[in-house]
Amino acid sequence: MIKQVGTAALVGALTVAVAACGSGGGNGGGSAASPTGSSEAASSAPASAKPAGKIKLSYWTGDRHDQDYIKEIVQKFNDTNPDGIEVEMVVKTDDFNQAIDLAFSSGQAPDLIRVKENTIQPWAKKGYLEPIDSYLTDEFKRKFPAIPDFNVIDGKTYSLPNYGSTIRLVYNKDLFKKAGIAELPKTLAEMVEDAKKLTAAGKADGAYGFAQNFKSTQSALFRSARVIAEASGYGGLGYDFKTARYDWNGYKEIIQAFKQMVDDGSTMPGMESLDIDPLRAQFAEGKIGMYLSFSSEPGVYKDQFPAKIDWAAAPAPTIDGTVKGKTSLLGGQWLAISAQSKNKDAAWKFMQYMYGDDILKTYQEKGFGLSMVPEIAKIAGKPNIVGIDGFLPTENDGTWPLEPTSAIKVEGELATDVFFKYMLSGGDLDAMIQDLNKRYNDALDKAIAAGEAKAEPDPGFDPMKIR
Amino acid sequence: MKSEAWPSMRTRNSSGRPAAGPWPGRLLLGLFLLVTAVLILFPLVAAFLGSFMTNAEIAAGGKLVPSVWQFANYKEAWVQANFSRFAWNSLFVSAATTVGTLIVASMAAYVVERMKFPGKALFVGLQASTMFVAIGAVVLRPQFQLMVDLNLNTSLWGVILILISSHAYIFFILLSFLQGISRELDEAARIDGCSSAGIYWRIVLPLLRPALGVGALFTFCGAWNEYLRPLVFTLNNPNLQTLTVGLSYLRYGSSAAVQTHYLLAGACLSILPLLAAYLVANKSFMQMTAGSLKG
Amino acid sequence: MIKLRRIGFSYAFLAPSLLLTVVLGIYPIGWAIRYMFFDYKGYGEAKFVGLDNFERLYRDGPFWHSVANTFVYAGGKLILTIPLSLVLAVVLNRAFRGRSALRAIYFMPTIISSSVMAVVFYILFNSYNGILNQYLLKLGLISVPIPWLGPKHAMLTTILIAAWGAVGNYMLLFLAGLQNIPRDVYESSSLDGANRWQQFRYLTLPMLGPVLQIVVMLAIINALKGYESIMVLTDGGPIGKTEVMYLYVYKLFFPTPSASYVPDQQFGYGSAVGFATAVIVGVVTLGYHLLSRRLNRLQ
Repeated sequence: MIKQVGTAALVGALTVAVAACGSGGGNGGGSAASPTGSSEAASSAPASAKPAGKIKLSYWTGDRHDQDYIKEIVQKFNDTNPDGIEVEMVVKTDDFNQAIDLAFSSGQAPDLIRVKENTIQPWAKKGYLEPIDSYLTDEFKRKFPAIPDFNVIDGKTYSLPNYGSTIRLVYNKDLFKKAGIAELPKTLAEMVEDAKKLTAAGKADGAYGFAQNFKSTQSALFRSARVIAEASGYGGLGYDFKTARYDWNGYKEIIQAFKQMVDDGSTMPGMESLDIDPLRAQFAEGKIGMYLSFSSEPGVYKDQFPAKIDWAAAPAPTIDGTVKGKTSLLGGQWLAISAQSKNKDAAWKFMQYMYGDDILKTYQEKGFGLSMVPEIAKIAGKPNIVGIDGFLPTENDGTWPLEPTSAIKVEGELATDVFFKYMLSGGDLDAMIQDLNKRYNDALDKAIAAGEAKAEPDPGFDPMKIR
Repeated sequence: MKSEAWPSMRTRNSSGRPAAGPWPGRLLLGLFLLVTAVLILFPLVAAFLGSFMTNAEIAAGGKLVPSVWQFANYKEAWVQANFSRFAWNSLFVSAATTVGTLIVASMAAYVVERMKFPGKALFVGLQASTMFVAIGAVVLRPQFQLMVDLNLNTSLWGVILILISSHAYIFFILLSFLQGISRELDEAARIDGCSSAGIYWRIVLPLLRPALGVGALFTFCGAWNEYLRPLVFTLNNPNLQTLTVGLSYLRYGSSAAVQTHYLLAGACLSILPLLAAYLVANKSFMQMTAGSLKG
Repeated sequence: MIKLRRIGFSYAFLAPSLLLTVVLGIYPIGWAIRYMFFDYKGYGEAKFVGLDNFERLYRDGPFWHSVANTFVYAGGKLILTIPLSLVLAVVLNRAFRGRSALRAIYFMPTIISSSVMAVVFYILFNSYNGILNQYLLKLGLISVPIPWLGPKHAMLTTILIAAWGAVGNYMLLFLAGLQNIPRDVYESSSLDGANRWQQFRYLTLPMLGPVLQIVVMLAIINALKGYESIMVLTDGGPIGKTEVMYLYVYKLFFPTPSASYVPDQQFGYGSAVGFATAVIVGVVTLGYHLLSRRLNRLQ
């Protein structure tokens, strides 16, 4: 009887499955890939039969919105460059930053990396990036503005600008018309008032005046409160460059206004779990009167969530109606060379190609981003994409210096969480801000003492005079 | 038929009077099963229907049935996630992990349950403690570093070894099942001259079949859905990527919206192999009859 | 001599498990845990800070809040999951038409990726046009939409979703456990005139004993450790209402980048918090273990 049962059928079946796997490809130590006959995979197979003398480079990027275009120009480079350089572009997504950390810690780093305004600083600090000063010709130096902290770090250049992002108030023109609002809000009070009117006009159809993507409080407030604070002359992330201290008081009136809109019922219900995509989808459906966001919005409404309404973008309101500061123009960097690359010269050749006039020009014209290179901005046509006009950089856009938040370890709740809590459940906002200031400044002091952050007061700092 | 002892039951009380059993109870039970099944199925149906919508339609929400059926989503998901290649890699990782885990865990469970040796409690404690801590975030870095040292950081074998190493869960399941199986058979076999290894192979494994089936299924599904490690170990070798990693590429672009429609289509595709695995496992652990137990 | 040989055999059989566990399980934990006395960002130098991280842990309100949330979450999930899956297993262990299909249906949530399902659950549960509210409104069960993902209900919603994903899992384990109970035991008992409940209480439960005990233990550990679907659905929000302790640890190791800066990883503090969470899970598991042993003895 026992023998009849024999080996468990399942174990048997799985052994067969493994045997099948094993026979497919190398079952020894090295590679576990099985050369199955999938043609589309085979075409991108690396390392197979490369002609002698080819220099292979890898380029990692986290950008998706431009990937078809970039793939095309990378292919063109591979086909035409006289040095036998072949670039393989890898689009990583969610875990791009994590992937970079692990790749560098294990010697698998790519030769070229797409760096962003929030990664160039930490990666330069960690020694991932190679300074490109020795490659820069006078021509390059003249053409591409050096932006301290965002492409030049501690006197060394790591990247060059291509495009930047601006932040604007995005509004539903149809709903504004329906609500009889002729002028866009210039002050917080007007914004609160307009949100009320918009809701009154739209509620029957399920439309509300204002919305924010509070699933991530940072993502929400650092695209909304931030830009209002900046335009009102305060640091957008709670840091005061004049005193080199954190002072969240700049957020106070803004958060109060946001709370007022919640209390008035002028905000989209379910805002507390709203992610940016569902927000955009609701806006495209005409269910949202206005929100604040980056200049990537027009691309999304063109390709992914076709807008069913007439919409536009305009400068964000300020606290009292007077513009006292420039709003963030984020960017200033694009490609960088890895410090671990074995072919830095070749990598530079590729970079040179990518920063060519035609490519940068087309990049803006196709609407992938707004050029931050003055010479290109002059010759490039306006992006051919609905809604971009309001996002084009103006006099009132500039790049704020880097504040030290990335280098400090704040204990307890983040400012954005505290503010959102206040918006939902109220409390003593002044006490909350005081506590935030204390915790942020304590963390700052600790980081300074440990030599991890620098913070020097700049009494003459003028938020209207940043570049 | 043994099952005749139980009145045959249907989820609906539509046809035929039952031979035995109070019928209101049966009706209630049927209703209960039906309601639970609907509750369980509903989100899955929503996912399936969503996989035929446009991205905008999904993101806008509020709808269950697509207004226009986008069959092309499946084609796009197939191509973009490099499905045929990645599914094969996933199958390889999952199958190897399953076999490895079952062997390693069942051997350990067997000696822990049936043998006396010093250090047993320590071993069990060790296994338990790995379950308390081991979330990917904490141990990812050292595990990766280890695999770099072993030169396995660029192959799927590194992933497989790590996945097999977290077999504590299956170990405890097998252990508990062994506790419920009488030792009479072992002893009889030992008197017949069977070695310890022989008993493991000829008696314990067959008797553990239901548990092995469930364990295999869990391990297989777990390995199939594993994301972080395959991602890390295939950084520089896109051809080795598994399906979960491929699917993640359908998700975020830093400056574009999530492609939820492809994501759902990809997810629906990727559970097909798991359903197949379920069917295989189900057969093996549900056909156990009382007869084989009696030996 | 036989005894010695058996011990040798035991160690030989244990070796693969032990080797893998120690090298790939224990060693990495030790590697990470030692940083609990350091300030380490994952790069550069690790600075020894003594017990600073534990002082911070003591002060860390949001963490202890997440611990409390974890117990609510785990408790809710277990209360829903274990009885339901046990009942389903007992029912589906009988022969009737359609049971294979039902088993497959109950099991399906287990195999679909939880991060994908979170997207779907958002469509079902969101407060502005969620399908669930639409149906409840249509049926007249509610008059205003319920903010399922709002601060008041988000925890309940995540518990429901967690139970949805787990019932099939434990049902299968119980079903497999039931296979070890010989049918003839039931036959003789039903001849003796025992009713269903009596059979369940005095036959099924005791015979399922060891399996039940360990499965509940694994369920407790899993419930305390669960964070992945929460991460995708609410990311701990709104206002921290669904923040659970392992999610908290995860965020220290993999901080969410904001548009303007990428926070450093906090290996040191993360390890200290990770250690604390492990101790909490360990204590709860041990408590359960002792309790179930005592109950066993009482029986």
